[in-house]
Amino acid sequence: QKVLVELKITFSQCSKNERNYKTTSRKYMRSPLSPEMATQEVQLNETLAHLKTESENLKSKLEEERAKLHDVELHQVAEKVEGLGQFIMKTRRTLKGHGNKVLCMDWCKDKRRIVSSSQDGKVIVWDAFTTNKEHAVTMPCTWVMACAYAPSGCAVACGGLDNKCSVYPLSLDKNENLAAKKKSVAMHTNYLSACSFTNSDMQILTSSGDGTCALWDVESGQLLQSFHGHAADVLCLDLAPSETGNTFVSGGCDKKANVWDMRSGQCIQSFETHESDINSVRYYPSGDAFASGSDDATCRLYDLRADREVAIYSKESIIFGVSSVDFSLSGRLLFGGYNDYTINVWDVLKGTRVSILFGHENRVSTLRVSPDGTAFCTGSWDHTLRIWA
Amino acid sequence: MKDGIANNSTASISQARKAVEQLKMEACMDRIKVSKAASDLMAYCDAHIREDPLIVPVPASENPFREKKFFCTIL
Repeated sequence: QKVLVELKITFSQCSKNERNYKTTSRKYMRSPLSPEMATQEVQLNETLAHLKTESENLKSKLEEERAKLHDVELHQVAEKVEGLGQFIMKTRRTLKGHGNKVLCMDWCKDKRRIVSSSQDGKVIVWDAFTTNKEHAVTMPCTWVMACAYAPSGCAVACGGLDNKCSVYPLSLDKNENLAAKKKSVAMHTNYLSACSFTNSDMQILTSSGDGTCALWDVESGQLLQSFHGHAADVLCLDLAPSETGNTFVSGGCDKKANVWDMRSGQCIQSFETHESDINSVRYYPSGDAFASGSDDATCRLYDLRADREVAIYSKESIIFGVSSVDFSLSGRLLFGGYNDYTINVWDVLKGTRVSILFGHENRVSTLRVSPDGTAFCTGSWDHTLRIWA
Repeated sequence: MKDGIANNSTASISQARKAVEQLKMEACMDRIKVSKAASDLMAYCDAHIREDPLIVPVPASENPFREKKFFCTIL
């Protein structure tokens, strides 16, 4: 009886680390194993199996509940809405100056300044009206995947392969060395994929390749809250518009988009309909929904109150991944930057593509609409940024 | 090593328990019908579309990016 129990333990753990457990099991066979330990082990495995079944049942139940309210499709309801006219959007400014792939960009609240970061470690602040560079900083690491402008316009945050998020106060004196005033705020155990200031310059939200998101106090560098739940790298995040409260959405390599309560650290909703990594998430301007862009070549819209996906923006001819998405001011248009160098513009309500924009000579890696909605900016692996209007 | 195997199981169990708790919490949510959600999204668009400069263009003189004139800095 004892030997049978020992064999059961060996086989159930084999998949984890074959070599380790095989030698251990041989040890067990030689030295006496207490009956209590053997029974305990079997019980633990049974509990685990039971919990997994419960988990599967709850997931099916959740899907059933969601399906009950699926009485109509968004594009059907939107049939009565007036169609959009022809769009004439073109590149109005080209920002040249990065020496390598542009990975991220963010607008300043003043609607004219932009911060961008690139693979070669450079972070540049531009005046988008004049295309002049106002500040430049060289980070000690390459692949600066995240950058963000502070709400006051007086600082920028950035990070990447250094696993950190650092804040640089912007000086009015162009000659001042920005790197000297650098403040390290966030520390992750893997690369920083995205960062965003909250409503003030005082707190920063980060997401990382270590599978977590975190909220930090800028002044002290203290970790205020951490968010666990993704099963793989978290690639993007977006804060809910301030009117709707303290939540944010994140997307990751586990194909999940999670909505989090910033105060409790709890995951309040989770959506898993994409077929590959989610590279970008962005809230609909009302805060009641969010869009996502994925390596599966689709953008999707999820309504938070209906708790489900309500639209997919895709075409058979679009086979390259979406790197970044953003809404126009009214939420009627969704802009997607793609790995095939193009920007597709979607009618959010009708689900159709209204325009395709060409110009970049390599992947579009980042896309943001300006704070007043008059233009949007894209950054690309072709080393440039373009302003479109 | 004997404890090691038990610890791995207990870790997986606590993870599985957390997943079950999370799903139970998500199941309790109050949801609305897609028809209601859709009409709310449409209402928002409708209310703001006229102020959306990328859909209803403002005169070129008011959009600094569409303006023809170029800025020069005087050195």
